[in-house]
Amino acid sequence: MTTRRGWVAIIVAVVSTFVTVPALAQTPVAAGRIKLASGQVFVVRGGTSTPAEVGQAVLQSDTLRTGADGRLGVTLRDDTRVSLGPGSEVRLDSFLYTPSEGSLGLVLNFVRGIAVYVSGKIAKLAPDSIRLETPGAIVGVRGTTVAVQVVPR
Amino acid sequence: MIGRRPHAVVAAFAVAALTYGCGPKSVRTDPGAQVLVVLLPDQDTGNVGKVVVSNAAGQTELSTAYSSTRVTTSRVKPPAKTLKEDDVKKRFGEVLATLPPAPLHFTLYFRFDSEELTDESRKIVQDVLQSVKAQPVPDVIVIGHTDTTGSQTSNFELGMRRANAVRTLLIDAGLSASAIDARSHGELELLVPTSNDVFEPKNRRVEITVR
Repeated sequence: MTTRRGWVAIIVAVVSTFVTVPALAQTPVAAGRIKLASGQVFVVRGGTSTPAEVGQAVLQSDTLRTGADGRLGVTLRDDTRVSLGPGSEVRLDSFLYTPSEGSLGLVLNFVRGIAVYVSGKIAKLAPDSIRLETPGAIVGVRGTTVAVQVVPR
Repeated sequence: MIGRRPHAVVAAFAVAALTYGCGPKSVRTDPGAQVLVVLLPDQDTGNVGKVVVSNAAGQTELSTAYSSTRVTTSRVKPPAKTLKEDDVKKRFGEVLATLPPAPLHFTLYFRFDSEELTDESRKIVQDVLQSVKAQPVPDVIVIGHTDTTGSQTSNFELGMRRANAVRTLLIDAGLSASAIDARSHGELELLVPTSNDVFEPKNRRVEITVR
């Protein structure tokens, strides 16, 4: 009887570990939203690329990608804005915005193409936590508007 | 907010230490990649910020409108060059036009112990509605605040009533309820810091973000 109860406890513990952790992971707070889109545009999440739509949430680790005729405009929760021109790819490597806990940070990776970044509240509260990465250089930002063009090898 | 700022500052330093404390940032070198970085004036305010562009060879600060750097190798530090406004617009005009409209912030003030707007604030409601219309997919965040008169609990409730009053105003004006996120921070985020039980009209407010 005791052993059976012990096993049940173990099974419950194991199952709940696997059940609750993904359940928590399934409801991340959106980092922002797609506000403008035209032509072929995609969000790549967990290795899967799906057509992007206006109004769709953007999460940390998402990659935004545009086709040869695509354009995309995104506003993040801290008022940061990013837009992509045709044939472009930008990854939201990190987005932390809980000012009341002092959790602030933004890392955007400009992989290829053409994009514009406009700083938001994170740049005001914690400018050193912002990094715009490109294949050849890293851009630290003290504010406002930066245009980036990346032509990979 | 104000009471918590030191916290945020400490965290900012912590993040900075983490980001910059590990020596030169590992720049993933893609020899042959060409990177152009241009600092632009803000489209709405004309303000010019500042950026620092770094590679393995060094760093270059850009702080004037249309100053730029083109990075093609990690052997020399990013060279600075000011571009012509026309050339920048030709290259980046389309992508600049794809930026969503700038988010806007409004503060509405309330009468004492009431969810009734002051007369001045009543006039601002139109501006809020206008800014909502300018957004292709509006997100409206409404946060109710109070002064420190009364208990924390009753102030949390008063803040919520204020936020909901504004929410109702916006819905009555035609905004979809699903676009509005209304909540209360009670007396926890004073605009004007005061001790407890202080009558302060500037703290009796609702802050609205439209983005």
